[in-house]
Amino acid sequence: MTPLARKLARRLALSLVVLAGVSVLMFLIARIIPGDPARIALGPNATAEAVESLRDRLHLNEPLAVQYAIFVRDVFQGDLGVSLYTNRPVTTDIAEFLPATLELVFVAGALMILLGIPLGTLAARYQNRWPDHLLRLVSLLGVSTPAFVWAVVLMLFLSYFVPWFPVDGRIDEALRPEAVTGFLLIDTALAGDGRGFLSALHHIILPALALAASGIGQTARLTRANVVEAYRQPYVEMAQAYGFAERRIANRYALRPALIPALTILGLDFAAMLGNAFLVESVFSWPGLSRYGVQVILRKDLNAIVGTVLVISAFFLIINIIVDLLVSVINPRIRLAEGERR
Amino acid sequence: MMLRKTAFALAAATVAMTAQPALAERVLRLDEVAVGELDPAKATDFADSMLMFNVYDTLVLANQGGPGIQPHLAESWTIDGNSYTFTLRDDVTFHSGNPVAAADVVFSFDRMVALGQGFSYLFSQRVASVEAVDDRTVVFTLTDTYAPFLASLTRLPIVDAALVRDNLGEGDGEMGDWGQAFLSANGAGSGAYRVDRHNPQEETVMSAFDGYFLPFAENHPETVRVRYGLEAPTVRTLMARGEHDIASQWLPPEVVQALDASDDVQLFSESGTGGFYIKLNTTRPPLDDVHCRRALVHALDYQAMLSLIAINDEVSQGSPSTGAIPVGMMGANDAGSPLMRDMDAAREALDQCAHAAGDHTLEVSWIAEVPLEERFALLMQANFSELGFNAEIQRIPWALFTEQVSRPETTPHISQLFINAVTPDPDTLLYNMYHSSVAGTWQSPEYLNDAEVDALLEAGRTETDPAARAEIYAQLNDRLMALAATIYGYDRKSVYAASTRVTAPALSDPAEAFSLDGMGFTFRLMSIAE
Repeated sequence: MTPLARKLARRLALSLVVLAGVSVLMFLIARIIPGDPARIALGPNATAEAVESLRDRLHLNEPLAVQYAIFVRDVFQGDLGVSLYTNRPVTTDIAEFLPATLELVFVAGALMILLGIPLGTLAARYQNRWPDHLLRLVSLLGVSTPAFVWAVVLMLFLSYFVPWFPVDGRIDEALRPEAVTGFLLIDTALAGDGRGFLSALHHIILPALALAASGIGQTARLTRANVVEAYRQPYVEMAQAYGFAERRIANRYALRPALIPALTILGLDFAAMLGNAFLVESVFSWPGLSRYGVQVILRKDLNAIVGTVLVISAFFLIINIIVDLLVSVINPRIRLAEGERR
Repeated sequence: MMLRKTAFALAAATVAMTAQPALAERVLRLDEVAVGELDPAKATDFADSMLMFNVYDTLVLANQGGPGIQPHLAESWTIDGNSYTFTLRDDVTFHSGNPVAAADVVFSFDRMVALGQGFSYLFSQRVASVEAVDDRTVVFTLTDTYAPFLASLTRLPIVDAALVRDNLGEGDGEMGDWGQAFLSANGAGSGAYRVDRHNPQEETVMSAFDGYFLPFAENHPETVRVRYGLEAPTVRTLMARGEHDIASQWLPPEVVQALDASDDVQLFSESGTGGFYIKLNTTRPPLDDVHCRRALVHALDYQAMLSLIAINDEVSQGSPSTGAIPVGMMGANDAGSPLMRDMDAAREALDQCAHAAGDHTLEVSWIAEVPLEERFALLMQANFSELGFNAEIQRIPWALFTEQVSRPETTPHISQLFINAVTPDPDTLLYNMYHSSVAGTWQSPEYLNDAEVDALLEAGRTETDPAARAEIYAQLNDRLMALAATIYGYDRKSVYAASTRVTAPALSDPAEAFSLDGMGFTFRLMSIAE
């Protein structure tokens, strides 16, 4: 087994332990929140018999340990229970809402990379000159402004004052494709529907930009700092002494080592966006999992709370593993260190 | 270079798609808070009722232009003691094409009571049996005399029994899940609109049902899109762009005011069959003394409260209260005698109270999910301090509030609640608030225990003569005012910012308004400009 494969196996095993821990924690927290979930679900006027019957069906009258054991048994059968919020199986809800959020997060992540890294590199290249000052100011604004403020500001300027972008939803209803993956950009592309694809892209740009704004700023700042540091290294000075083209020095000798810390932060940001997307999803009426997650917490929808948090946690862990692997691939020193540790 | 050109072309094409495609049909777009519960046996919220009134039909319907009910699926009925015999129309079919028959009524009733949710409490333990005599005749036999029964039937939507039986999910017994999974995602009604698509968190899309038995307004909406959970800035932007037709009633007043400033926006309103209630815990000092309670009733600045919810000079989210029963309902006082602040009367009442105002700190609670109530709490704090009361404002999440009020000692001195009657009858408003047997629910944090109130509430249920009932409720109104267990802040009105392309007589003309909250959104009676 290669060191990389061994690392992957170890991380996966650890992730399962973390997920088990998260499930226990969420299971307990969801039951500590004030209010009887059965009463909240059935409404204030439901009969006592109906409330008691629902409590029985949810096993709420059993001891906590028994409740947890039943939950784990059901999870292994692929059953996360029924949501009291939507009256549908939690797995159905997650399958419907997760692609919307993942699509949003992936596009936002792409924007973070496509805008954050070039902006950071540009700022480093023009260090302490006006492009650098301007980009640092913009980055600072991006980092320090919450996503929901960006959402409202972007909507105000690009949808309200200048009606360039749509305000809500994922696609023009008339162009909604047959669901295959649930990712509308992919489904419209698979269907060969150019108008549908453009409509989906048109709808996702503003929410993705609002969600990514903070990450773009953070990535740009980090990339700038690392590239500036790299420019001070002897191997860059040597490349300059050899008279290599500026673009080649920037891309090949300065940017690549500078990307490693940025990549780690990007990975964390990327996963965190899944949980943080709530307000952006609310403002743009994006039917995603984050908005669903908050609603189910407010309604003390036990099954849905645990299911949603488990999925978000799993995503977080997967992204972390991918980032670790990527860092190993990019940085030979880390790869070699893994081999030596063996 | 090629890649850059392609990216540029893509971006340009995307930005060029600035406008929504032209509407090829008359589409009505509105919003409500999430979620929209489509199963009619589970409907409780406003959004659920809106869906229910349009997708399903009931035996009777709330009257327009006044209190009471009118025939609907039932073309006539007879009452013999506790037996109600209904004769159904013979020209009504479900969306599936199945005819609406007495067996469907029996099934719908059985299903609602078996699930025990939504408005089932209006029927459970009051109806002894429901029997289909033939296809067009159904007999309800009550356990006891219950005068509001006919009005309660406005909350018994009739479902397509055959369709539901074909789609039963897993569950205990012969009926499995009673079609819950199916009806949470699909319609099975005979209403004017059929469900095309339903996502409880995103939107419900409905289209006009060609086979409906009643006429549609000219230029009625062909398609209705009810979107859920839109934020105020989103609604405002959509309205400004002409992409939304009716905003929900839950917008903050300042947003409604801003929308109202546009020439393209009009305001609709629906007089609620309910009000804003300031509930006083009658078990805890100093409010266990009726004189202290009366002092608070007199000290509240009702006009200031109304000014907090005014949209403009003519339209407000409430109208002056005249007593315990909202103006227009059976037993209500005349609109010409609104409650007013009277500090002299307040001080006079306080003088008779056994408690000194400064000896107790009043807990003034507000529900965390309703920010408007914080403003009311501040107003009360200011008003009551003029009498010498200390007031401590408490923000309580709804879930915690419902637990707190289950015990008198943990119930705040003052709770704020918006409560509506769920049928056109005052019984569904008052009984759950004031009968001593139901004390300690979210509707009854007063813990009122008054034999005269109980007797009047019982009499309102057993007296079947409408005139005599009106007299009973008038007496009850007076008694509740004398007990001062509640401060009646204002009669609630729902205000909706709407596009001028929409005409909705039931939301703009009092003579066309239904006597049941939410029925103003009967889409078939609306018109929409091409």
